[in-house]
Amino acid sequence: MAVDLDRCTGCGACVTACHAENNIPTVGADQAARGRAMHWIRVERYFEGEFPDVRVKFRPVMCQHCDAAPCEPVCPTYASHHTSEGLNAQVYNRCIGTRYCANACPYNVRFFDFFHPQWPKPLHLQLNPDVSLREVGVMEKCTFCVQRISAAEIQAKADNRELQDGEIKPACAQACPSKALVFGDLNDPDSDVSRLSRSGRGTKLLGDLGTLPKVTYLERETQG
Amino acid sequence: MTAIYALYSDPDHVQRAVDNLRAAGLHDRDIVVISSEPIEEYEFSARDKATWLFYAAGFGGVVGLVFATWLTTMTQKAWPIVTGNMAIVAWWPNMIIMFELTMLGAILATVITMLVAANLPKRGPKLYDPEVADGKILVGIENPPSTSVQSIERALLSGGVARLKKIGARP
Amino acid sequence: MQEEITRRISDDLLRPLVETSWRFWLLVAVLGSVVATGLATWFYQIYNGFGITGIRNPIYWAFYITNFVFWIGISHAGTLISAILRLVNAGWRRPVTRCAEVITVFALMIGALFPIIHLGRPWLFFWLMPYPSERQIWPNFRSPLVWDFFAITTYLTGSVLFLALPMIPDFALVRDKSTGWRRRVYAALSLGWQGTTKQWHRLESAMQIMAIAIIPVAVSVHTIVSFDFSMAPVPMWHSTIFGPYFVAGAIFSGIAALIVAMAAVRRFLHLEAYLHPVHFENLGKLLLMMSLLWAYFVFAERITVWYGNESAEREVLLVTQRGSFAPLYWTMIVCNLVIPFVVLSLRKLRTIAGCVTASFTVLIGMWLERFLIVVPSLGHKYLPYSWGTYRPRPVEIIITISTFAAMMLLYTLFSKLVPIISIWELKVGEHPFAQETAAEAGNHRLWKANP
Repeated sequence: MAVDLDRCTGCGACVTACHAENNIPTVGADQAARGRAMHWIRVERYFEGEFPDVRVKFRPVMCQHCDAAPCEPVCPTYASHHTSEGLNAQVYNRCIGTRYCANACPYNVRFFDFFHPQWPKPLHLQLNPDVSLREVGVMEKCTFCVQRISAAEIQAKADNRELQDGEIKPACAQACPSKALVFGDLNDPDSDVSRLSRSGRGTKLLGDLGTLPKVTYLERETQG
Repeated sequence: MTAIYALYSDPDHVQRAVDNLRAAGLHDRDIVVISSEPIEEYEFSARDKATWLFYAAGFGGVVGLVFATWLTTMTQKAWPIVTGNMAIVAWWPNMIIMFELTMLGAILATVITMLVAANLPKRGPKLYDPEVADGKILVGIENPPSTSVQSIERALLSGGVARLKKIGARP
Repeated sequence: MQEEITRRISDDLLRPLVETSWRFWLLVAVLGSVVATGLATWFYQIYNGFGITGIRNPIYWAFYITNFVFWIGISHAGTLISAILRLVNAGWRRPVTRCAEVITVFALMIGALFPIIHLGRPWLFFWLMPYPSERQIWPNFRSPLVWDFFAITTYLTGSVLFLALPMIPDFALVRDKSTGWRRRVYAALSLGWQGTTKQWHRLESAMQIMAIAIIPVAVSVHTIVSFDFSMAPVPMWHSTIFGPYFVAGAIFSGIAALIVAMAAVRRFLHLEAYLHPVHFENLGKLLLMMSLLWAYFVFAERITVWYGNESAEREVLLVTQRGSFAPLYWTMIVCNLVIPFVVLSLRKLRTIAGCVTASFTVLIGMWLERFLIVVPSLGHKYLPYSWGTYRPRPVEIIITISTFAAMMLLYTLFSKLVPIISIWELKVGEHPFAQETAAEAGNHRLWKANP
């Protein structure tokens, strides 16, 4: 995935879309104040400079699906592992809730179901049948909308054709009004995401940690 | 089970009794010395010292090592799952498992061998006297052949202050 | 003369098994109710969900992991001290060994419970064990938590056997001195032990091997516990010093626990003739040495971070030394270094009371040290947007307190059922069958203490 920070307006549509698509529960104001909100993608907001020269910067952060993910070797039950397609998978059924993966993740993008997820009526009508519901005590995180990836792959196979670039859009990318989020196949050098990842504006978040994240953040160099 | 034994207060007398029993023609393995604590400084206690226990521990360790190597490499290869860009058969963490199971194997082998060698748990009739718990040392023969009873008694009594006791059928 | 001493030792050390006062029952009742409360609280936590604890994003480990590391650390007392003292043949170890080994076994059991308590789905803890399943999936041997499972299993097995083997002759003694149901039970427990020279030799050879084997296991256990932290890219966790640092800290807290336990046993079981001030003095000197060693590791780690200029690590360093964790941090330094140094280096203060005081402060300090390793680092990782603070909730505090009660309860029950000082080992030390003259025998410590 490529995230263009120069296009991001901080509107938060990606967050809402992710909640809707992936059956992420809202935890309530009290729990959110205690730091237990479960935003698989979050928009970090930073203020730079002193008034009146204040600038606001937004950075959407989701699971980076690192190629050398520190969350994977530490999971005792293989609930967190790397798929052959390069995604970091989270298997809810295999998770026993040690929360080691969340500690190991430098991006803090892994979340724990502290209570049994609730959807107060009528929100239960909005649940996505393609995504399993999690129970209390398991970890969850951004999957790059693996249900959409699987659906598109199955469709392409049924139609006996290759996947097109741009055919798979995770919920966040689909909802973004300024097209800041671009998703695609990094193995295809001609895809949008590959070209954007090679851009001179591109950096990796916490790249020096050696996690080999797959998300490239594009940002114009500014002074100061 | 029949037995003839005597109780002594002093290990010097025990040594003399054991020597007398040997002179009376009894084998070392037939002479039983029982005490409530180990007595290291005398010859009579050195008879059974040689042991295979250290080799047993080493063997148990090797078994543990082989098992651990097999367990880790077999399971990692059986369902190869990529985690964190690490090798499928990851030797660094496997070595930790191998170390732990080696030590576990050595420990278990030691204890099992010790229990077997010491003949524990021992059920059924055995040569013992409650006065041993008060510090007396027991020297005796289990199942003595009837012809030797007289010479055994002489050997035990000549050891000095002693009380002679018998268990079981009397000749 | 020697039979006098033998009989006196047996009587004194078997008395707690045969005589029970109302104080014992009261203690058991109080401790038992605290433990029951803790268990009930745990079930409450399972039923209502892990959210009733203070855990939050990004601090996903707090009290329970602190307790886990703390108790596994305490467990290093026994077996390590007992094994090392056996191997160097230090005579003063004799009354101390079983006290120490018991601490190890129970602390390990309690410590091993915490990885289960801290699980989100604790009923599935058995997935950490390698067993053939129909799903054909095995645990991930690359995970430090799986290493924990193997290490703690090995250490627990070794410690239980290390404790149990020398108990066999003592069980035989209790069998001989008792009647009725007690006799039958201890006869079974003593496995028909007679005390032949062959049995003694096998037992002592086995103990020798166990002592040699248990030391690397003990070192590896706490190293592996430290690997739970050092294998994650968290600032001030990912440090190569963690292995030795944790082992030193474990031995440190273990000796402190041993001193406290010995003092309690000496007081409540009236074993003043067997646990002498010199025992506490010797352990106190060891405690002082470990305090300095611990301080050395802390210094080495922190100065490296301070020089390193790695911004995330420095942030964690400063938040413990000057920031919100500073009160806890400096309390820890006073408890672990200042007080033990003052009390234990001055001979006048190195009395039993002094050693116990220093030990209490060390236990507090070491608990704080584990907390300060776990929580500040997790609260200040690489992305400042996600930093967080942690406050414990009642459920965590109750469970923590109940584990201390559980330790005391298990120890109390053990001392009621098994002689807390190894009788046969003590006898061997008290009057080895060297050629003692009558005059020497008359000068015997025990005889002088209670003529």
